[in-house]
Amino acid sequence: MKAGKFWAWLTFGLGAAYFIIPLLATMEFAMRMRRGTYSFDAFAVVFGDPRFQQTFGYSVVAAFFTILLGVLIVVPTAYWIRLRMPHIRPVIEFITLLPLVIPAIVIVFGYIRMYGSNSPLPFLGSARGTDALLVIGYAILALPYMYRAVDTGLRTIDVRTLTEAAQILGAGWGTIIMRLILPNVLIAVLSGAFLTFAIVIGEFTVASLLNRPAFGPYLQNIGANRAYEPAALAVITFVVTWGCMSVIQMLARFAPKSANRPD
Amino acid sequence: MTETYLSIQGVKKSFGPTTVVRDFSLDVGRGEFISFLGPSGCGKTTMLRMVAGFEEPSEGRIVVGGKDVTHLKPNQRKIGMVFQAYALFPNLTVAQNIAFGLRVAGMPKAESAQRVQDMLKLISLPQLGDRYPYQLSGGQQQRVALARALAPKPRLLLLDEPLSALDAKVRVSLREEIRSIQKELGITTIFVTHDQEEALSISDRIVVMNNGRADQAGTPFEIYNRPSTRFVANFVGTLNVLEARVLDAQAGSVDVAGQVLALDRDLAPKRKGDMISLALRPEAVSLGRAGARTGALAATIADVHFLGSVIRVRTKIGDSTVSLDTFNDPTMPPPVSGTPAELAFAPRDLMVLAD
Ligand SMILES: Nc1ncnc2c1ncn2[C@@H]1O[C@H](COP(=O)(O)OP(=O)(O)O)[C@@H](O)[C@H]1O
Ligand SMILES: [Mg+2]
Repeated sequence: MKAGKFWAWLTFGLGAAYFIIPLLATMEFAMRMRRGTYSFDAFAVVFGDPRFQQTFGYSVVAAFFTILLGVLIVVPTAYWIRLRMPHIRPVIEFITLLPLVIPAIVIVFGYIRMYGSNSPLPFLGSARGTDALLVIGYAILALPYMYRAVDTGLRTIDVRTLTEAAQILGAGWGTIIMRLILPNVLIAVLSGAFLTFAIVIGEFTVASLLNRPAFGPYLQNIGANRAYEPAALAVITFVVTWGCMSVIQMLARFAPKSANRPD
Repeated sequence: MTETYLSIQGVKKSFGPTTVVRDFSLDVGRGEFISFLGPSGCGKTTMLRMVAGFEEPSEGRIVVGGKDVTHLKPNQRKIGMVFQAYALFPNLTVAQNIAFGLRVAGMPKAESAQRVQDMLKLISLPQLGDRYPYQLSGGQQQRVALARALAPKPRLLLLDEPLSALDAKVRVSLREEIRSIQKELGITTIFVTHDQEEALSISDRIVVMNNGRADQAGTPFEIYNRPSTRFVANFVGTLNVLEARVLDAQAGSVDVAGQVLALDRDLAPKRKGDMISLALRPEAVSLGRAGARTGALAATIADVHFLGSVIRVRTKIGDSTVSLDTFNDPTMPPPVSGTPAELAFAPRDLMVLAD
């Protein structure tokens, strides 16, 4: 019993060290920009860089639209499949897994071939169009996570009976999705949104090949050309991600309670 | 019966090659409480779902209040429904659940709040409006589901085995509450159950379903005492079945395991030599001399179960078993198994079962 506890703690300690030591080392390195003393100079440089602000802002907006698009596509789809076509769920699951198997670079080349300025759908003909294409690409990259999260959320409620209960009370599809399905999978949607955000903020391939001013290419650029700033950026990115996670935890606490999630 | 309010006309429902409901016709009067009774899988839910609009009949029509609703969507039918699994919306409070149908219908806030209060009072849970479903017991949840179904003043109330997930005590008290609320509101109601006691105790009329068909529709009294098919007789209550051979159809004389028995009715179109099934409720049989009752059969006592105030006796007539209950009389010794006995009954209590 005691020994078991000891080994459990040791494993936990090793895991924590493996996770925290590189982080501390990065932090330490980032603070050594000024010779002979610790300082936050590297952070000041990063925050002061207008390109940091622009690219970060751009990626946050892209993430927002990606999440919106993802929710609009995934929630009704996952819902409909659970409700009316449970037999094709394995097919849909397989399709949503494809973005994990097919490299992003393949997707981008496909886009560039299909949506060039001479194609019938010239997304790449304008900056706005390319932005839209970027968001669509991101939504696809995030699909495996979003679909899985929402589908798991739907599993916790009796989709069919609740839908019928709402229908017989006079509700149409819009009401059912907005007042019934979405609120009950909110936690799941939020965790999907968090993952989507994390993917979009760090994504490099698609943004770079579509030549968009996103945060990923900026990170890469700084990383290749500077010494201390990349370390500072790594820490900042980590804090942002960590912050997201806490916000979602808090939202989850205030989200509507349900029979499946007492407290 | 008052004027017909719900009319189900020649409805059939098939899923692919399997027919689940067939030849189903029924007229329900305004304010009537009807039960669909039958074993699991006989098509009760499917018939109810066609009334609700969740399934479309393969043939036939459904008319409510003079209007053909056969192909109307469920959300256009103004029907209230209570499901076996409660089906309360987990993200909404009790009050919000009850108000759901009112909001969908666009009722103003103040009016809907008042109606919710009235409904909470109706189900005797006036204090629980702010609770979430998971904070309620099963019985309370099902009452809220009833209130939610009734709040928009539906034209029909449908209940699909609403009590079967509850424990026995709650089941009995809630079924009485459902019946009294139904009477108070005078709402036309269909109640689906596989529990005969439930159906017998609260219905105006019962439709006994067997294999997708309505075998018999009638008052609980008729269903129990005058079952029209062997299935109904067997399904509702306990029944002793005796196989008999017709000796003289017109005179109503038959042969039961070598004994001649005189029935009080004409057995036509059966003819001499045909086999028929006779049925007797245990409470219609007594042990001993025939006395004023004219029917009598010789039997052998097979076994005796002492149950306190009642003694259950099983007797054998040839290959058939007849169970009967006698009251425990302290001055009389109980019957002994293996001894001969005489079974007495009134011939009019003998039912001739159609197949
Ligand atoms: N959607 C469906 N597809 C195929 N068969 C079904 C469907 N719904 C019900 N059935 C079949 O119809 C029969 C009757 O079902 P149901 O109406 O639920 O019976 P009950 O409610 O009397 O238990 C069952 O054998 C069931 O398997
Ligand atoms: Mg059923």
